[in-house]
Amino acid sequence: MSAVIEARGLTRSFATGVALDDLTIDVQPGEVLALLGPNGAGKTTTVRLLNGVLKPDRGEARVLGLDPTTHGDEIRRRTGVLTENAGLDERLTARENLLFAARIRGLARPKAKERVDELLGRFGMFDRANDQVQGFSTGQRKRLALARALLHDPEVLFLDEPTSGLDPAATRDVVELIGSLAAEHGRTVVVCTHFLGEAGRLAHRMAVLHRGRLQAFGRPDELAAALWDGLEADVDLGAPIDDRILALVRSVGGVVAATPSPEGVHLRVRDREALAGVVATIVGREVPVYGAVPRTPTLEDVYFAIEAGFT
Amino acid sequence: MNWPAIRAVMAKDLTAVRRSKAVVLPMLLVPFLLLVVLPLVIGIAARSQDQFDLSRFLDNIPGDLARPILALPQREQLIVLVNGYLLAPLFLIVPLMVSAVLAADAFAGEKERKTLESLLHLPMADRDLFVAKLLTAYVPALLVSWIGFLCFAIVSNTVAWPVMHRIFIPTRLWGVMIFWVAPAVAALGLSVMVRVSARARTSQEANQLGGAVILPLIFLAVGQATGLLLVDIKIAIFIGGLVWAVALLLCARGARRFTRDQLATRL
Repeated sequence: MSAVIEARGLTRSFATGVALDDLTIDVQPGEVLALLGPNGAGKTTTVRLLNGVLKPDRGEARVLGLDPTTHGDEIRRRTGVLTENAGLDERLTARENLLFAARIRGLARPKAKERVDELLGRFGMFDRANDQVQGFSTGQRKRLALARALLHDPEVLFLDEPTSGLDPAATRDVVELIGSLAAEHGRTVVVCTHFLGEAGRLAHRMAVLHRGRLQAFGRPDELAAALWDGLEADVDLGAPIDDRILALVRSVGGVVAATPSPEGVHLRVRDREALAGVVATIVGREVPVYGAVPRTPTLEDVYFAIEAGFT
Repeated sequence: MNWPAIRAVMAKDLTAVRRSKAVVLPMLLVPFLLLVVLPLVIGIAARSQDQFDLSRFLDNIPGDLARPILALPQREQLIVLVNGYLLAPLFLIVPLMVSAVLAADAFAGEKERKTLESLLHLPMADRDLFVAKLLTAYVPALLVSWIGFLCFAIVSNTVAWPVMHRIFIPTRLWGVMIFWVAPAVAALGLSVMVRVSARARTSQEANQLGGAVILPLIFLAVGQATGLLLVDIKIAIFIGGLVWAVALLLCARGARRFTRDQLATRL
């Protein structure tokens, strides 16, 4: 199946400097892509370029098979964007904000009202529907903005910092919702964030940006394999490993490194077989092993390892 | 043109403006003073003064204007001079001010309220967005002007009835002002202010730039021209046409140059 989003050499500068430099990525149907990077990395510029809000200086992109520079309106009709600032008119009520977006999107009035009420209910905002947005909390604004992004049932969702300013419970709700949109409804989702926890739970692939340049792009485990030789594991012995056993462990084939830890030994091994060999060696010396679990690098491990390379 | 989308932007903006007292009150205060209070005072003054000698003043204004006024009974001269003639050019402040205040808010206000980016992400062509913002300023400017004039005509004729014993407003000059020159001046003001607004970061900045530099120049030019407006209806129509031409030229240029990219670059 062809990619929903493709960017080749996308570049854009402003008076202040290069915001995005030669970005090449693709996003497959139903995939959740995390665009990661610190503030000013180029994440928001990428979203604006892909939606035809900005035009690139160089390079090209296709979103749903369309060129954003020439078919921006058609793309925006089929995508939904949650901007970092919720972007709601504070002087309007929650319902008026949604009805405005529905009318621009060409929803007929009865259908628009029905859809707006449905989304207000789904996002727990029905009782505030006729209140002006100026009295809303950050979480309520975010939920309302997310409802607005979903009004027209978009094929692609761009979420720019969807959980910034939310409390932990609201963050969990939003993360679960985004996950269900991708998993159950098959939507393609691009999440821009610098909060790694949420992206780790959602993303199939990650693109790490720094000062406009793509530093890494791929599945977290692929990137981990490229970053680290083998895998890491902690072997729980109930006490620090003694020097004689440690020497034996280091001599097992496939062990790259072994360091004592308060509960036993921390290992870096080439593969799972090497870990099994270590456990067999320790047990063979009649030392009890309470646990030995290979640790898959998290998105955070990968991100910080990549970040360490460019700081 | 996507008229439903244009109407949606207008409805949203005007609902928001209606709820903002800080915008509505100053916008209505000037028309109220100019079109209700002033004719009321003039009417009362004319009723209380039996002999109000205007001959020295009328000697200093163009003969074509002075002659019909001097031909009137002396008690009527003050009312006809002020309400029938002198207020007509001053009235142009109303459409210019209303369109300028609303146009200043068009894009700069969206930036200030951080709503511009979400607006730019909606499926609406650049030109439709530009037209929507122009009309959001233009339609209220015309409505306030026309409703203001209606109030002015009612107040002027009512207060002056004991002196005039007839309906004397609207005059032909007022007709040209209301339906030809005022809409042109409103268009000129907003064609300038919408472009200022697209470049400014806040509506205050747009108002300052527009209010301090651009609008006084427009008003000076229009003010000079309105001296001519009083002389002859044909000249008034010609001046109105000239203002229309400049306004439409500026609007067309603005529409051609207006792009999402330009706005998003300044976010």
